[in-house]
Amino acid sequence: MNRSSLPGIVYSLPGIAWLSFFFLIPYIIIIIYSFLTPGIYGGVTLPFSLESYTRMLTSPGYWELLWQTVWISVMATVICLGLSLPVAYYIATSKRKNLLLTLVVIPFWTNFLVRIFAWMLVLGRTGLVNSFLLWTGLIEQPLQLMYRPATVIVVIVYMYLPYMILPLYSSIEKFDFTLLEAGMDLGANRNEAILKVLIPSIKGGIIAGVILVFIPALGSYAIPDLVGGTEGAMLGNLIAKQLTVARNWPSSSAISMIFLLISTLGLLVYLRMNAIQARVRRFRVREDYMKEQEQ
Amino acid sequence: MKRIFTSFLLFLTFLAIVGITSCGRKAVLNIYSWAEYVPQEVIEQFEEEFNCRIVYDTYDSNETMYTKLRAGGAGYDIVFPSGDYTSIMIREGMLKNIDRTKIPNLANLDPRVTAKINYDPEHEYSVPYMIGTTGIAVNTRYFSEYPRSWRILEMEEVRGKATLLDDMREVMGAALKTLGYSVNSLEKEQLNEAKELVLLWKDSVAKFDNELFAKGVVSGEFWVVHGYGENIFYEATEDEIEDIDFFIPEEGSTLWIDNMVILKDSKHSDLAHEFINFILRPDISAEISDYLLLPSPNSKAAELLTEEPIYELADLENCEMIEDIGEDLVLFNDIWNEIRFGL
Repeated sequence: MNRSSLPGIVYSLPGIAWLSFFFLIPYIIIIIYSFLTPGIYGGVTLPFSLESYTRMLTSPGYWELLWQTVWISVMATVICLGLSLPVAYYIATSKRKNLLLTLVVIPFWTNFLVRIFAWMLVLGRTGLVNSFLLWTGLIEQPLQLMYRPATVIVVIVYMYLPYMILPLYSSIEKFDFTLLEAGMDLGANRNEAILKVLIPSIKGGIIAGVILVFIPALGSYAIPDLVGGTEGAMLGNLIAKQLTVARNWPSSSAISMIFLLISTLGLLVYLRMNAIQARVRRFRVREDYMKEQEQ
Repeated sequence: MKRIFTSFLLFLTFLAIVGITSCGRKAVLNIYSWAEYVPQEVIEQFEEEFNCRIVYDTYDSNETMYTKLRAGGAGYDIVFPSGDYTSIMIREGMLKNIDRTKIPNLANLDPRVTAKINYDPEHEYSVPYMIGTTGIAVNTRYFSEYPRSWRILEMEEVRGKATLLDDMREVMGAALKTLGYSVNSLEKEQLNEAKELVLLWKDSVAKFDNELFAKGVVSGEFWVVHGYGENIFYEATEDEIEDIDFFIPEEGSTLWIDNMVILKDSKHSDLAHEFINFILRPDISAEISDYLLLPSPNSKAAELLTEEPIYELADLENCEMIEDIGEDLVLFNDIWNEIRFGL
């Protein structure tokens, strides 16, 4: 047998094994735990029970916290997208691409937590912003910039911005800019051309960026914990508290299932959209082919 | 190409052999404890005297430590749980019986400390490392007129500039003490009153915090923090210490005793016993107290201290130990979830 004709499955086995071991099996454990009874001192015991779910679904507080979590993540994602589009466009059309891309990636060289702490030096009561405003005389008392829900959004945006810029950059870079000129030749002004020609053709990059920012933002734990204040908590913090302080493993497993549900739903919608697009594309190709035949 | 590969393999093998033999020479003692809790000098001195290596891993709360061990975290020899978690770990069979004949220095323990130990009075599983309380620290650069009471949290001046620990038992304990109840109260009425009080405090604190209170109060980011004195003074320079007023509120506070315990699956039990005995040596114990600025639980260390601790053992009279409350923890959990997450 020729070596290169080994079926693809053989090559993908290591990957599949890795994923099933470190992704699928832990998730199955979480699913099972979420239906068990908490042990008094942590862990889980029999019997199977729906308690964790009924408690979660019937308590308005959970829904409010879920809403707050989703709202913070959506806001952060939208702001990231708004900030990243011009940046990615600029980098893709710049002559110093490599330098600019390096600058985008540089924050990754510093530890995640250190960068959160750095924000405290910027936004704190005795931080840069307040010291500057006090110095200019614009304010007399330091502003409360830290420990608010808005602070959580600001820091999440900062943390995940590169994850939005990079996929946008890579799709804008492949974009044929003469299409913009063509659009403008055909009567679109610059904004219309960007909106109707550029944006649709970099949709893949936008979706990738949104997924890469929204999903991790949803599961934020350290950011709301450190900069969130008394009203800035997210679901991730509740999961940790239920697991450790409350010693209620089934409850934290059940809340984790919300994340699994949201990400799975998002992925399904994405796949569905792709499938529809592919069908439309196939249909158009067939149409073109039939037209050619007619001619 | 092939030759490069072979020599690379040989090189790796060489590294592996060197690695194994040099590791094999020294025994390793794995400690799982609070950050900055055992001074580096003490660790180095032990390594030298007993020709071993100490691996010091840290946790930030009893709960984190316990969850990690319950979830299968293994390989640690000595852990430093507080009293309530010591009793849980004893009950759950996670600890090894301590061979008291191997720890002659147990006799050095101050009877005032051992008298407070109700979770393991005979030291069958645990030996106290440090004793202390949780209090309030004020940065007096910003404000100087205040009651030395938990009620300081209700002052208009501190709104948005104070923190409470993100610790259910500590915060509820503070509220219960303020109301004149026991920190281990299980009376629904009392717990509800305490909940209302914490909700009142929540309005004026910037955040519930276990990580930043020490740095925060020293830098002036926060004016009033609820926390552990040893952490706060650890962060401050000589000059900054002048501005920090740490006090035990007049209503009383919680009392904690952190213990050294040996885990059941410890593979270096002998060395672990040596370590505990070493910590109880008067000179070492004094060194630790000087480092943490905490009163020494070792009666023979008292005269060796060179620093004045933040508070003395005698100041702890009005402080009450947090005890394990078993399945009644759910009473506290429900209240805490309401306070923290609005559930």
